[in-house]
Amino acid sequence: MGSLRTFIKDVRGAKTLAEERSIVTKESARIRTKLKDDHLVPDKRRKNIQKLLYLHILGEKTHFAQVECINLIASDDFRNKRVGYLAAMVLLDEHQDILTLLTNLLNNDLNHQNRYVVSMALSTLGSLTSPELARDLYPDVENILARSTDEFLVKKALQCAAKLIERDTTLLEIFYPYVGSILKSRQLCTHGGLLGVAKLCQVAVSCRSRYEYDNYPEILQSIVHKIPEFFSILQDMNSTNFSAEYDVSGTCDPFLQVELLYTLRLMFELAPQETAQYKNKLNDLLTKIATDSAGSKNSANAVLYECVRTIFALQLDQSLKVLGVNVLGKFLSGKDNNTKYVSLNTLLRVAPQEPKAVQKHKMFISRCLSDPDISIRTRAVDLTFAILNETNMKELMDELVSFLKLSGEQEKDLIINVVDQLISKFELYAVESEWWVIEIMVQVLKIVGQHISFDKVSNVIVMINNAQDLDHKTRLIHETLELSLGKKEEAIDGDNLGWKLLSVWCIGEYGDILLQRNMFLETELTHYLCLVNGIYSENTKLISYTLTAALKLSAKIQSPSCVEDLRQLINGHSKDTNIILQTKSVQYSFILNQPASQRHDILGAMPLFERSGKNGNGSSGSKPMVKPQEQNLLLELLEETSTSNGAAAGNNSETLLDIFGNGSSDGASQLLKSSTKADPIINIPQDSVETYQSDDMQVFFKMASMVPGEAHLELYVRGHAQISNLQVLAAASKTQKLVMGNLSMASIAAGQVCRQELKVSGSGKLKFRVKLIHEGPSGLTTDQFDHKFDQSL
Amino acid sequence: MAIKFIMCLNKQGALRLIRLFEPFSGDAVNHQSTIAQIYKLISSRDHRHQSNFVEFSDSTKLVYKRYAGLYFVLGVEPEDEELIYLSHIHLFVEVLDAFFGNVCELDLVFNFQKAYMILDEILIGGEIQETSKEVLLERVNYLDRLS
Repeated sequence: MGSLRTFIKDVRGAKTLAEERSIVTKESARIRTKLKDDHLVPDKRRKNIQKLLYLHILGEKTHFAQVECINLIASDDFRNKRVGYLAAMVLLDEHQDILTLLTNLLNNDLNHQNRYVVSMALSTLGSLTSPELARDLYPDVENILARSTDEFLVKKALQCAAKLIERDTTLLEIFYPYVGSILKSRQLCTHGGLLGVAKLCQVAVSCRSRYEYDNYPEILQSIVHKIPEFFSILQDMNSTNFSAEYDVSGTCDPFLQVELLYTLRLMFELAPQETAQYKNKLNDLLTKIATDSAGSKNSANAVLYECVRTIFALQLDQSLKVLGVNVLGKFLSGKDNNTKYVSLNTLLRVAPQEPKAVQKHKMFISRCLSDPDISIRTRAVDLTFAILNETNMKELMDELVSFLKLSGEQEKDLIINVVDQLISKFELYAVESEWWVIEIMVQVLKIVGQHISFDKVSNVIVMINNAQDLDHKTRLIHETLELSLGKKEEAIDGDNLGWKLLSVWCIGEYGDILLQRNMFLETELTHYLCLVNGIYSENTKLISYTLTAALKLSAKIQSPSCVEDLRQLINGHSKDTNIILQTKSVQYSFILNQPASQRHDILGAMPLFERSGKNGNGSSGSKPMVKPQEQNLLLELLEETSTSNGAAAGNNSETLLDIFGNGSSDGASQLLKSSTKADPIINIPQDSVETYQSDDMQVFFKMASMVPGEAHLELYVRGHAQISNLQVLAAASKTQKLVMGNLSMASIAAGQVCRQELKVSGSGKLKFRVKLIHEGPSGLTTDQFDHKFDQSL
Repeated sequence: MAIKFIMCLNKQGALRLIRLFEPFSGDAVNHQSTIAQIYKLISSRDHRHQSNFVEFSDSTKLVYKRYAGLYFVLGVEPEDEELIYLSHIHLFVEVLDAFFGNVCELDLVFNFQKAYMILDEILIGGEIQETSKEVLLERVNYLDRLS
């Protein structure tokens, strides 16, 4: 059997992966057999374990040797012990039962006369501290702290003590006095010793809630009394003449400084009352470190950063906070990505507390928006939104738009996040010019429309629709369509469906104005719709919009050939496998065949949309708001046709009813009359809930029966006045199928009740949007509301 | 503030050193895939233009640095101070360099036990215990002669 070195060489020398596997597997098997041999001499045993450690690095299984490494520790030979302890630290973890086997060995070695053996035992105990080991071995660790004068052993023993207390808090009582004694000792209070003391103090304040005895106040008091000593140590380290031994690129032992600052932070945080008297001193110290600290090296920054973290964690004085933000600003302005990263992270947390101070650094934050590092960009985006307010909105929005321009395909989530936040900010703040918002949104659509959901595009469409200044609007649409129709050098990405949706809608809605102003030719607009229809036939939403646009455009153009093209486009979907498109196609064909005057009325301009949730609109808070942009395609159809109906007079209401496929109103009422006889008087059941109320009526919903996957519902309408020609239309969520059952009466007198049955099947939450069209005292009215049941299918 | 693990990987993702102060979750197979994920994450980053910090999971952030062909990686708590851990890595590398005399990957391959020995003088249970390069060098050189 070869040495470790030969084995490593063999593995490295393997020409193929298969050869390497074979060498490794063979050696692993050989080691396994050897270790089973009870007569194997300890030297051989050690060599096998060494090889095993190499196998561990290679990712091989090593569990079979766990007992073996403990046996090596038991050996008297220093070399064997050393490999044994190393193997224990590498191969074992503190959750293994096998650790109990270590107890006696560690107990012996912690009291060994050879201090290098003691040192290894301490290292191992520090790595593998189970609660059992803590209880069994604390006297040995204490013994070292009490007697040893070896600084190496003491610093390790202090770290071990902290670990032992973490596992068993009652041990705090044993170990806390050593904080004081080590600090007093000239010989043992080295930087290593201080690191151990710091750990001990940290664990002492952190275990407050777990410590069971009532002498905790005394312990805490004795620890807190050491604060001035820590202050003076830190002060010395920040004076100009510190010992060269601990110099790390011009900073005195940044490790110890950070550790001490962190310790102080924990003490002030977890024992605020006990430490109150030192707070002013702490302020002074942190101010001194934060202002005096020279150098831009990582070590100096690490100390500065810990200072800043302390300032904000403890919510120190305003002047310190401003100082802290300025330090972070300095980090941001540098070239080092590491300091930028930590600075952005911290500023994100600080921005809500110190908005003004953070805003001062917005230039550098904006610069990070174009950083090559995605993690920095992501944070810069979040921070930009965190500091965005009414005054800096314009400037920052421009920065964000430039950010979007630079963003790549792989950053889809980030882009969506930016757009979402943009929209919410627009809703949060009053904006002077609606056009500015629209232009930004159109620009955003242009840049990243392929990542934006159609709901958001609808938002933009509503904004454009509701904008008042027709000239401005026309100009914007002109520019938009010039891009879409390829009249500019800039090209729109073929995937940019959001942009296509907007373009299609603009053509349908404003085709007449564009044509009147000679901005485009009839054939161009028609052609574009046909093109979209041809390329994106898979996309139901886009095609739905295209169908509506085609219908609308057909009423606005003269050229018979173009009208014919649009007719073909619409008819082309009459056998569409998608039921929604098919329905639309058939309905639109029907409208196309109506006399021109009626068509004109139906296809008039869209009215203003109301938008819910916008600040200062006076309409926030009311739930059953008409919001046509929501996902439901059925509703979208209803919306378009019925609102244009509202704009036109009542003369085409019959046509519309035909479109809805409910038969003529006469037919409907006849049908209903027959059912009226069967069920003359209906009372509203006790267990129904009132869901809607208007001047004309009161509506109740009731869950009649429910089995998994299917529910029967009843809707009751009680008239406040005479109501006739009532129609109930409802939509459920996409995952469900809704079947409308009987309506008991279409005409009811004041106080009378009628019932509509509904059956819904599918899965998901039971949510409905209900629309009630009826003729009441004030003429034809439409009411709409949403209702959500607690139950789900 | 404690280090969860330290590892050293070469440019091809081969592991050269590993010490877990907090066990990884799952079995040995899982260990290997965790290491592979860490390598994938780190090696895909541009070490000139990107920071040396990256979130690995909800509970672990990586602080890493590449020295020639070797990545030194620390796993720490997400809330921990990142900058000082870079100094930890640097201290370890400096001591390795001085101990081996212009350390290279092969030194770590053939003398992994000595590298572990150095690590055990710098860290104990994931905490830093000694910060002076001189003290450390003197100590490890002495320990090295003991056998």
